[in-house]
Amino acid sequence: MSLLFKGRESQNERAKKSFIAAGYFFVLNIFRQGIHSLGEMWRTPMASMMTIAVLGLSLTLPATLYLVVKNVQQINSGFEEAAEISLFVKESMSGQETQTLVKRLALYPEVDKVTFISKQNALVEFKDVSGFGQALEYLDENPLPDVVLITPTSRHRQADAARALLAKLEKEREVDFGKLDIAWLERLNALLSLLKESVITIALLLLTSVTLIIGNTIRLSIMDKKEEIQVMKLVGATNTFIHAPFLWTGIWYGIIGGLFAFICVALMMWWLGAAVTEVAGVYQTHFDLIGLSVSEFGSLVLLATTLGFVGSYLSVNRYIKEIEPDKV
Amino acid sequence: MINFQQVSKTYPGGHRALEKVSFHIRPGELAFLTGHSGAGKSTLLKLISLMERPSAGKVLINGVDLSAVKSRQIPYVRRDIGIIFQNHRLLERHTIFDNVALPLVIEGTHHKQIAKRVHGALDKVGLLDKVKCHPSTLSGGEQQRVGIARAIVNSPPLLLADEPTGNLDPELSMDILRLFEDFNKHGTTVLIATHDLGLISRMRYRSLTLKEGRMSQDPLAEASL
Repeated sequence: MSLLFKGRESQNERAKKSFIAAGYFFVLNIFRQGIHSLGEMWRTPMASMMTIAVLGLSLTLPATLYLVVKNVQQINSGFEEAAEISLFVKESMSGQETQTLVKRLALYPEVDKVTFISKQNALVEFKDVSGFGQALEYLDENPLPDVVLITPTSRHRQADAARALLAKLEKEREVDFGKLDIAWLERLNALLSLLKESVITIALLLLTSVTLIIGNTIRLSIMDKKEEIQVMKLVGATNTFIHAPFLWTGIWYGIIGGLFAFICVALMMWWLGAAVTEVAGVYQTHFDLIGLSVSEFGSLVLLATTLGFVGSYLSVNRYIKEIEPDKV
Repeated sequence: MINFQQVSKTYPGGHRALEKVSFHIRPGELAFLTGHSGAGKSTLLKLISLMERPSAGKVLINGVDLSAVKSRQIPYVRRDIGIIFQNHRLLERHTIFDNVALPLVIEGTHHKQIAKRVHGALDKVGLLDKVKCHPSTLSGGEQQRVGIARAIVNSPPLLLADEPTGNLDPELSMDILRLFEDFNKHGTTVLIATHDLGLISRMRYRSLTLKEGRMSQDPLAEASL
């Protein structure tokens, strides 16, 4: 394209034959610039490695916290399975009526298993377990009610679903009241959501700092290449052309920083894995740490790449404009 | 080719660099621009290469009014003008090849073409054997010739030179001027700013003289208006 001399076309434009070929060269050129930027980073390995290490470590922290939440959730879901509802039968009900209730409850689609504990059985068990055996002898009558233990089906074991089921069961005529022991579960859930919230806050802070670090690194690199930028502008480089290598550098910092963070997390998981197995062994349970899945690894690198691009874009947009050739 | 019409340039702070300068350089002409340092030579070249905009008056190149050129179009204007600087302005971190290839890379020329033309340009200035060197390993005269090779590599119709012989001995200066003459013979319009009056007097070309921002001694300028 020539503005001043209409007939003048560059050699390159004459070479371009079709639209598709032009597009092909455009994409090819972008990737060539990308490889070139990587080469530029390789020229100053120490400085590049230090920046990458800072970025990698900044990304490692949120990734680790994310894994902590994920693993705690895994424990939590194991406990949720144990949800059980106790229904206390009204004292006025006869044995016949209670038996019909038990049969009726077993027909509920939400109910997996029904266990009936009569007041006599309950008393015997209580005497054995509680150690109040002697004291209970003095009671005139059995103070315990009949109890029906309900195990909901797996779909109705979550806190909310189980609570809904409890409300439904309490409407039965024979039932005095029911109890769902989920208070501890709710506390755990509350703690977990608090943990999640803080992870999000910390992650946001660290991701902002990653963006700023990349932005500042690119700013320094722009300042360092001030002369070159001036010369490029003098021989007719468009802003896009001058921006490209800096944007690529930002993207590479993101990608390599993301990989570095992944390696750090993987090493940490391997290190902690043995310790966790040992602790689980002491408690006579088995527990495996979950690491990052392939898609989570992909998201981590993609996120880092995006931050690299955003950081460099902010700097490039702000500082390259200011560099103008002023001296012939 | 280059047409100045009553051009004035006042810098912020009140310094008047140019005052009502008018002249016309025809296509295919070679002209010198002389004057003491601070007379406005650099400002005049900056107005042509759009590093500065005039405060008043019009600058036309090949009939195109430069005031109509938007800032994002400036790069495309500069691709039509080869500029040679007194201090060479080479990229120290890159080889001679990369330096000369820069204008072609910017235009997106195919790499086979780039190699061919860079070698052609370096051959013209007699530095083909320095392709892989870095600028710092070259002498002042050689660096200046690399700068010239970079300016002509995309065969621009217009060539501007700011004190191209500034730091060179008379013999080397003459060599460089012969190069400009050669480009001019091939149809390129050339404007050379210099304060080396001895050099100009030995060559029979038109010379424009600036004195404290005003144009003097240019009978052709008046004739063309």
